[in-house]
Amino acid sequence: MKKTLLLLFLCLNVLFVKAQTAARFNLKGSTVDTAGAPLPESTVMLLTPKDSTLVNFARTSKDGTFEFKNLKRASYLIKVTYVGYLPYQKEINPKDAETIDLGKISMAAMDQNLYEVVIKTFRAPLSIKGDTIEYDPKAFKVPPGASVEDLIRRLPGLQVDQDGTIKAQGETVKRVTVDGKRFFGDDTKAATKNLPAEAISKVQVFNEKTEQSRITGVDDGKHEKTLNLELKDSHKKGGFGKATAGIGTEKRLEGKVNYNRFNDKNQFSIIGLGNNTNQGGMSWDDYQDFKGSQSFNWGDDGDFGFGGGMRYISFGGDEEESLTIQAGRGAQNRGFNKNWAGGANYNFDTKKTKFNTSYYYNQTSQDLDATSRQTNFLTNSAFTKLDTNGRRNFNENHRGSLRFEKNLDSLNTLIVLSNMRIGNGTSNYFSHQEYFRGDQDTTQLSNMSDQRNISDFNSFALGNTAIFRHKFKKKGRNFAVSVAYNVNNSTGKVIQRSTNQFFRTSQTVADSVLRINQTNDTRSLRNQVKGSLLFMEPFAKKFVMESFYNFSLKSDDVDRDVFDVGEGGQTRNVNLSRYYTNKSTYNRVGTGVRYSHNGLNIATGLAVQQIQLDGKFAIDQGQPFTNRIDRKFFNFTPNISLNFDLKQNRYLYGGYQVGVSEPNIRDLQPIVDNSNPLYIRVGNPNLSPTTNHSINLGYNHFNPGNFTQMFFGAYYNYYKDQVIYSQIVDENLVTTTMATNISGGKSFNLYGNYGFPIVKTKSNFNVNASYNRGTNLTNINNELNRTTNNGYNMGFRLDYTPSDKFTIYTNANWNITDTKYSIMSGQNQKIINTNYGAEMNVRLPKDIYFNSRFSYNSYVNDRYGFDQKMPILNLSVYKTMLKSKKGEIRLSAFDLFNKNRGISQSAYQNFVSQEQVRTLARYFMLSFTYNMRGVAHSVRRKGFGY
Amino acid sequence: MKKILAIAFALIALPGLAQKEGLVVTYDKTFYWIKIFDKLNYLSVEEKSRIQTSWGANDEGDKSKGKLLVTADQSKFVDMEQEADGGYRGRKSEYMVFRDFVKGTKTEVEEFAGKMYVIEDSLVVPSWKVMNKIKDIGGYLCMMAVSEDTVKGQKITAWFANDLPYSAGPERYFGLPGLILEVDINNGELVMTASKVEKVAAVEGLELPKKMKGKKLTTAEYDQMMRKFISDSIKSRRNPYWSIRY
Repeated sequence: MKKTLLLLFLCLNVLFVKAQTAARFNLKGSTVDTAGAPLPESTVMLLTPKDSTLVNFARTSKDGTFEFKNLKRASYLIKVTYVGYLPYQKEINPKDAETIDLGKISMAAMDQNLYEVVIKTFRAPLSIKGDTIEYDPKAFKVPPGASVEDLIRRLPGLQVDQDGTIKAQGETVKRVTVDGKRFFGDDTKAATKNLPAEAISKVQVFNEKTEQSRITGVDDGKHEKTLNLELKDSHKKGGFGKATAGIGTEKRLEGKVNYNRFNDKNQFSIIGLGNNTNQGGMSWDDYQDFKGSQSFNWGDDGDFGFGGGMRYISFGGDEEESLTIQAGRGAQNRGFNKNWAGGANYNFDTKKTKFNTSYYYNQTSQDLDATSRQTNFLTNSAFTKLDTNGRRNFNENHRGSLRFEKNLDSLNTLIVLSNMRIGNGTSNYFSHQEYFRGDQDTTQLSNMSDQRNISDFNSFALGNTAIFRHKFKKKGRNFAVSVAYNVNNSTGKVIQRSTNQFFRTSQTVADSVLRINQTNDTRSLRNQVKGSLLFMEPFAKKFVMESFYNFSLKSDDVDRDVFDVGEGGQTRNVNLSRYYTNKSTYNRVGTGVRYSHNGLNIATGLAVQQIQLDGKFAIDQGQPFTNRIDRKFFNFTPNISLNFDLKQNRYLYGGYQVGVSEPNIRDLQPIVDNSNPLYIRVGNPNLSPTTNHSINLGYNHFNPGNFTQMFFGAYYNYYKDQVIYSQIVDENLVTTTMATNISGGKSFNLYGNYGFPIVKTKSNFNVNASYNRGTNLTNINNELNRTTNNGYNMGFRLDYTPSDKFTIYTNANWNITDTKYSIMSGQNQKIINTNYGAEMNVRLPKDIYFNSRFSYNSYVNDRYGFDQKMPILNLSVYKTMLKSKKGEIRLSAFDLFNKNRGISQSAYQNFVSQEQVRTLARYFMLSFTYNMRGVAHSVRRKGFGY
Repeated sequence: MKKILAIAFALIALPGLAQKEGLVVTYDKTFYWIKIFDKLNYLSVEEKSRIQTSWGANDEGDKSKGKLLVTADQSKFVDMEQEADGGYRGRKSEYMVFRDFVKGTKTEVEEFAGKMYVIEDSLVVPSWKVMNKIKDIGGYLCMMAVSEDTVKGQKITAWFANDLPYSAGPERYFGLPGLILEVDINNGELVMTASKVEKVAAVEGLELPKKMKGKKLTTAEYDQMMRKFISDSIKSRRNPYWSIRY
């Protein structure tokens, strides 16, 4: 028994050993050059023949030998490389051999010329597949518009003769194919002379069997050099566009068209839009499609200051009529607006040169009818004004822009900008006002005023800036200089008419009536020359010192002619007419140090600035100057900023800034403006600039792991010499205001936000809260009034996004403002504004979508019984259609309950007010969109996920 | 006495020095963040093309540097501090890849979603396909090899120098017959190229830090965490690629 077992065991053992030798094999060989000398340290790789996966590798020893032991029995592709030699490769099949000896592998030297030129000079990827040499045209620079022939001239190993004949490694190329296909028969020059070089993705040279042998199927051993050109998949050019048209009830219409055509260097686009649905002008998306690569530019602001190293995107001013195109202003919810706009844009874009020019026109006609109620508090008394007014405004602008950016070399950059706006408009304003004594609109009628103003203006503005930046060889040392020239020229004519009745003894018959009938022609010209310098110097690895200098000379030239219109014609009103010139010189020099290391960025600096005003006033142009303002203001403005990138996606930031703003020229004019006899303005030539101290501190945190986010912060502002409008109210309730400086106004704000997913990817919750406190000072009848606002705001948001077919978004917001007036402590106001909103999106079968949006707003001030509620429901259903979902048809209902109005209320200075404006309410609309890029719909809200 | 001590130290250090012969390689890394948006499947064709037309031409890439220390037995890769150029400087995220080719182990320290992780596992060579393409990088003739990262959805193209017989490379990439001098992810979304290759007789600093804070993970656990994070972010319509090391 034992013997049998032993035998069995032996047998098994033998079998096992046999199996092992069968499964594994050894491979050896050695590498030599053509002369037979060994090539030590050459790389030998074993790849799978199927897809070249690397299985094993070795290096040859000093005598050029290599050996792989115990290789799995399979076919391999052996690949040997040695610098300066053509890679060798061969497929091997071990069959049942135990050891394969490849013997001496003879490596052929790579054509030295080819190697040197390709590898060293051009640093070009060159691939060799068998006898095919493949070139990547990207690595061989040819001028724009060059033909394939020009490209081939530059490829090493290829030659182009005078007559266009191509030679590869000395042999004439007999055939040129494009994507493997013959191009115009046997004429090898047709393709190479006619195709643009930039359309080619690959150039391949190989030996092809002769026509003869291909037809007969018998390889006669003769080969012809063939050149194959592979075309780029998407030779980068294209266009996209979108058109929408909608028609609705209540004569509502809207339409928008845009088209953009581009290739790798040029972009051209046009846009046109029109609507009477309060949609406003361009959205941000429209703006980006219009301006393309020139939508956002860093470092176009030439006014260097603290943080001069930080380049940011600037968007002109915030003012209503800036020089540049304003986008993303959103819908207009006041009145009835008709908008038209259109423009064209061209960009030329290369790494070295960027050029942009655009033209844009827009016009808006606005019908605005409003009623408002305002109670003003005086020392132990009050008066209330009711105002019913209407405005018919028309406004149009032509804007042109040019931008040129040139990277002169890697260290020098020049930017030149020029923006222009030509605008004009008309306005027709009429108002009926009633003034009552006391804080109710019933007690005692005091004044009644009917006003009508018709105005008409033209303006021209031009802004030019040139910025030159130089980087020194030493990293971080930078220099920049900018110059700017701005012009603003405007003329306006206003006809002011009003009838003002004053009631003292009777409520029905006026004791006195004051009629105003004036025309006012104003012509103003402003020229400004500016310049700035910036120098940055790094030191001690973690510090940078930055210094800057700003200069500005602004000159104003204003001629204001006021005429009283009587029965006998016009007479010049010498009290209101003025001619004045003003020169404002601004100089600032500052320096600061920034520390930045591992996420901690701290900067401190100090600047000194001087503003000099030199104004002269005369009754009329050509008359002697009667008044002169010659004032100098000198200020130190410190600046501190902190940015701390803490661990775990936490950021801390803060700063302290001092800002100085010079007084408005209108407030400085020593004139009495009684064009509104119930509200008289008096200028004050003794005004000083306002100094604003501001401090902010904030923290934010986002956890990408569990998607929670949090931020909170606070800011504080303190005003010194704030320009406020002191009021003197006489017994006829005529208010006379005068700009005055006062110190002590301040504001404080505290805010926080926390958001987290309730169910990850399905439901999110967000809560925010803020508190603000403001103190505003005003002199009312020579008594200081201190208005204190305490505002409390809180909101929730809950998103429910369970699937691709259904989503719900809800929100709630409460805002309470308590206002106290020191001159009238009994008149504390509590304003409560509330908003609740819900949005539902459903995706139905057959690419039909349904969207409903509900919002409920309420505006309450109990003291005046003001309680307005506004439920708004918008519904729309839409369907994508056409090939590649390029079309969409949509039916929408706006404000289904017909409740929309523009409502606002506020409590400020010494007043509390409520206003209601008539605006676009219920209408239905059917619209169609065609989008070349496809209409994509989702039940998810847009705007997140970047 | 001092001299004797010095000699004694030198003698002790000598065998160590011989082993430490190797390379110090600096890699320049450029991340073209604009190209990433093409991967976000929740953005519409219109949104993607808008991003490309308005930002694409201006994307000069986010630049940073890394350093690889390598000997025949070990390699270590770390990020380098950003140079001061007068602008804002972000915090350097913690990152280290250490490999021991003799023991066949790796230790990676990586910051993800605000937390530190230490990935300790055996070295598993990625599956490389060696292609017939050559080019020159810094005077070294390199061959092309391709691979795929299925977790992050990346097509990896590596260029390795047969002249530098180290099976190492920058960041997570290694396992070729020569040192990897360039890595290209998804046709140029991210490019890492060796800008300086120094041959040194003794590589300094090639050891594991004594203290490594962070949660310990295996490669499989790390991959699973990444997969889940990427898929959750895409479902929540957030770009996951801001928060991970691409």
